[in-house]
Order: sequence, then C-alpha cells, then structure tokens
Amino acid sequence: MSDLTPHPTQKTDAAHAQLWQKVSPWALVYFVVHFGVRFVRDGIFNLLPLGFVFVTQVENKLFWGQIAAAVAVSALLLYSILYYRNFRFCISSDNEILLNKGVFKKERLTLKFERVQNVNIAEPFYFKPVTLVNCIFDAAGSAAQEAVLPGVTQSYAEQMRKQIFAYKAQQQLEPDTEVETDEAAEQSSLFISNKEIAKFGLMSNMAILALAAIAPLINVVADVLEKQLITKVEGFYEQELGLVASAALFAIFTLFVFVVLIAVLLSVGMSLIRFYNYQLYFKGKKFKRIAGLLERHQLSMSLDKVQSIVIKQNIIARLLKRFTVEFLQASSGGAMAGMAAKKNKQTLVLPVLNNEQVNSVCQWIYPWFNNSALAFKQAERALWYKNLVLYALLPSLLVAVFCYFNELNYFISLGVLGVFAGLVTLSYQRYGYYLHEDNGRFYMVVRKGMIGVHYRVFELYKVQSASSESTYLMRRSGLKSLYIQLAHGFAFMPYIKEQDADFVIDFTLKQAESDTRSWM
Amino acid sequence: MFNNQQITDLPQHKSIEFKALADKALLHAQLNWLVFYIPFSAILAAICYFNENFANNMQTYLLIGMPILILISMLYSVASIKLQGVAMRQHDIAFKKGIIWQRVTILPLARVQHIEIHRGPIERKLGLASLKLYSAGGMSADLQVSGLTHTDCKNMRQFVQDYRQEHTSTQAVPADE
Repeated sequence: MSDLTPHPTQKTDAAHAQLWQKVSPWALVYFVVHFGVRFVRDGIFNLLPLGFVFVTQVENKLFWGQIAAAVAVSALLLYSILYYRNFRFCISSDNEILLNKGVFKKERLTLKFERVQNVNIAEPFYFKPVTLVNCIFDAAGSAAQEAVLPGVTQSYAEQMRKQIFAYKAQQQLEPDTEVETDEAAEQSSLFISNKEIAKFGLMSNMAILALAAIAPLINVVADVLEKQLITKVEGFYEQELGLVASAALFAIFTLFVFVVLIAVLLSVGMSLIRFYNYQLYFKGKKFKRIAGLLERHQLSMSLDKVQSIVIKQNIIARLLKRFTVEFLQASSGGAMAGMAAKKNKQTLVLPVLNNEQVNSVCQWIYPWFNNSALAFKQAERALWYKNLVLYALLPSLLVAVFCYFNELNYFISLGVLGVFAGLVTLSYQRYGYYLHEDNGRFYMVVRKGMIGVHYRVFELYKVQSASSESTYLMRRSGLKSLYIQLAHGFAFMPYIKEQDADFVIDFTLKQAESDTRSWM
Repeated sequence: MFNNQQITDLPQHKSIEFKALADKALLHAQLNWLVFYIPFSAILAAICYFNENFANNMQTYLLIGMPILILISMLYSVASIKLQGVAMRQHDIAFKKGIIWQRVTILPLARVQHIEIHRGPIERKLGLASLKLYSAGGMSADLQVSGLTHTDCKNMRQFVQDYRQEHTSTQAVPADE
C-alpha cells in the first residue's frame, strides 16, 4: 500500500512542473463511462430503499422519474468534466508515475516503476474510431488502486510498457523481464472462436449466479406474473390440453424454464462481452491475452508470478467435452480478495479449451504435464468407507425414517442410497496426487472432483504452509489428510498413508525454505 | 517421478518436540467460558423469572442441562489446552491442536507476511497473549496460538522478524545451503 500513498499536492509540484501532462479530451468519454458504471455498481443498492419509496409513494412517476434521471445524468457529466479538468499525469525523472486527480478530494498517486507488475492495454469500443487506448498500470498486491491513463495512443502505451520493463530489467536483472525484449523467442498462440466462448456461458456458474440474483425479487415478480402471465398460460393449457388440474403446474413449470433460459442467455452474453475474439500468446515465459467485446483488454502475465494452475471441468463442461484453465496469481487477504482478483485482471482465464488445446497449452509451460497419463496416487480405501457411511448410508436411513412416518414407499430410500453411494464412489476415485521433478524443479498435481474433474498444479517452493490432520481412527490405521496452503487457493488430499503425508510435508517445507528464488 | 529413497537427509517434522502452552492458559480458557456462561445463564434465569409458562416447561431441563454443558465445556478446555503445542525450528514454526481432528500446521518463516500479537483484558491480567501469523492467500491467520506468555510471544515475533532480515541478506548473496 505504501507505494501508492497519496501525497499533498503542493509538495513536489515545482520540481516536475514542466512535465505535467493532460490526457486527450476523448478521455472524457472514459470518465463518463467509468463513473457511470461505478455509480450503478456501487450506488444501486444504497438507492434501493429510495427506489422502493419512489415506486410505492410517488404519484406522478413518469415526471419525477425523468427529473431524477436528468439530475443524475447532469451530475455525472459535470463530475466527469471536472475530473477530466483536474486529471494530470507525469512520468517523473525518478522513474515514477505521478497522477493528480479528484474533484472534491484531490489526491496524488505515486507509483514507482519497480512496483508495477504489468502494463495492460485496454481498447474500449468507444475509443475505436479515434484509435486511442487505456494504459493500465497494475501494482503488486493492490488491484483496487491501479493507475489508469485513459485515452492515450497505442504507441505511447507500448512505449510506456517498454520503458517500465526496461527499467525493471536494469534494476533487478530478472531473467524473465529480459525476455520481453528478446524478439527471437518462439511465440505460441491460441485463438478461441466466439462459438466456443458462448459455450463458456453455459458452463460457467454465471447462470447460477444470475438465478441467485433474481431469487430475492422472485416474490415480487411472481405477484406481477400471477395476474398477467400465469392466468394466461394457464388458460392456454386449459384450452389446448383440457387438463384443468395440472394446468397451473404446467404454467409454473413453463415460467421456470423461461427464467432459466433468460439466465443462461444472460450468462452467454456476459461471457461474450468478457472473452470476445479471444487471443492468447505465449512467448519467453510470458502470456499475453487480448479479449473483450466492449473493451479490448490486453493482459500480460509472467509465468513466474503464477502461484498455481487450475484445470477444471464441471458437469456441463464434461457434457460439452471442454475444460477451463486458470492461471492464478497471489491474492492478498482472504477469499473475498481472491474473488476480486478473479474479477479483476489478476487471473488469466482460458475459458473453453478442448482436450487437445489443453495439452498444447501444457506443452508450452510444463511439457511433462499430461492429465491422462500421470500416475496419480489415490486416497486410501478408508475414505470410501467413511464417506459411504456418512454421506450415503446415514442420509438414506434418515429418508427411510421419513418414509416410515409419511407412509411412503421404502424404495425411495434405496434409491437415495444408490445415488449417493455412486457419487461418493466417484468422488473417492477422483482424489489423487502426483509429485514430479523436472529439471531440478519440483511440482505437485492434486486431482479432485465428482462428475467433473479439477486439477491444481503448483511448484512446491511456492507453498505458503502445510498441515496434516487426523482423527483417532485414522491414526489407528496410519492415515493422514494433507492440506497445503498456496498464495491463491489450497490443495487438499484426504486419507493418504501417514508416511506419505509426512514425506510430502517435509519435502515441501524443504523446498519452500531452501529455495532462494522469490515466490511472488 | 522421484521416490522416497533419493532423499534421506530430509528434516522430519514428525520428530518436532512441541512445547506446551503457558501454565495459565487453562485458567484463561476457563475464565473465557465463564465470561460466556454467566451472562447466558443470567438471561435464561431472567426469562424463567418473567415468563411462567417457559419456566414451568423448561426449568427442570435447564437446571440439569446447564451444569452438564458447563462441565463439558470445562473438560473440553482441559483436553484442548493439553493437546496444543508450539515449536520453533530454524526455518519454520509448527503448531498442533485438536481433540478429534488433530492438526499439525507448519509455516515456513520465509512465507510469513505479517505477525500480530493480541491481548484481551483477561490475557493482560494473566500475562498472556495470542500470536497470529499471516501468509499470503489464507482466509484468516494461517497460524493462531492463544495462551502463550507475553514474553514468549514477543520472543517469537522477534525471531520471525530477525529471520526475514537474515533471509533477504542470503538472497542478495546466493549462498549454497
């Protein structure tokens, strides 16, 4: 945080006075969009009670609604114009980026070149006609406080990137930054068609999230629909099918399908906006990804900064025979920050890959990795027995008791037993880990899943901490569960032999403690 | 794939000798239970006093149940404190805890992001403190030990801080370990 401390504005102005620059007037569009989006995203929930009052209490809705909208839009415009007028940037001779910004509260942002992790270039659609871009300086650890230069030319942004990386290479002599200038390095590339991207919309949890977002409103919506729609749909079914009794049921079912369809469409739309025309390049241990519909966002990431790689396939992805690959960087401060990092540009997501593409991406980075050929060590049988009792037998007994009291058929509980036992078995079979040595570097792969599958690959020296856990029964059978904390996420391997777990922990710790490479 | 036989001189975390918590740690845990149970019982008593219906139904159960609950909590503390232990090694810190799920966590000192020492009012009275160690990516503190003496806590913090300086100096001159 200290690298982004706002200073009083007057302090060093004199020294740099001649270097302060304004951004292009087109940046005004960026500010309007930026603050507009922020207003909608952050402010909307605070305004909900006001909106409620408006809907229930105000008589002349149209008139006052227009007034409110006009006030909001002019406030946004005014704020953006003032913000633009006050926005100045400066590349100081001390190799710092200085930003002066703010309307009511003026602040100075100082970002040292050596603190810049990445320079990302984003091309929003409204800058297309004037061929300008946004230049985003990614600071280590503080995703929220990145510095953005809106509305600069592509060549200026690229020159900034070169200058910063040249400075960093000179300062630290990091091997990976040198490669940046190495034009001779072999470049691999991957393109994902938009048809494939649309599949990501089906696979991702966004559809479920959209449903969850609708859930609190469902009562209100249902009330309105009850009068408007359901009666009509009901009437339709009554007329066409002549089933008075089940017409209402059909109507509700139709409505449900309709809502799910909308959620899925939304999800597909969102993934297209995020990943439109997906291009990925890999050159000299550095990734470069360009994607996005409204904003062409260019993300670059060094392989050395990656904390762990996740290759996953959920149930829908399995039906579509596709995988999602994620390259995760360190996230500071818990799960929420992790989520924010994912949303932000800290995580490189390869949304939809078929098996061959996964293998070819693995060939670029870890030639040894082949998810189908690795000899995974599996969990011990005790895990299967325990989970059968706990998650299959126990629930089915409860169901049997329930059946007894409600005089239902006992076969229901047998069915529950069958399904749950099947799922438990699948999950038990998925658990596995694999250790690998490649050119003196040690890697671990942990596999889990049930119907889908989830691999996590990481280099051992990046591990943050290691734990083992055991119950009395486990200790009696010489078993332990292994838990490894990473800078982004964790790896968990239940019920392995005690000596294996101890070995993995000891070996991992040795790697983390004796390796002098920086893990970040 | 490598195998076990290749590495024979691996430091074994199994041989770590854990140091028990401070003598007053148990007292601290029991006082914490009291701080919870006294107001809780008082509220229940107040409800019984004012609501006759509730009192008639529940009084007997509560009079039997509450002492048992308190006794179990106290016994739990005894076992839990007895099974906890910390150990510092040259390059890492280890902590074990748990009655049913016994857990050993080892955190390399080179991965410690920051350290906190917490002292509540009871801890201050008893000369105790809690130590929290954070690394990157964890949900909360990766390693959290309460019931250490304040001096122990400060010594451990000093050790971790000194280690970091030592570590950065070895990074500047890559020495073979």
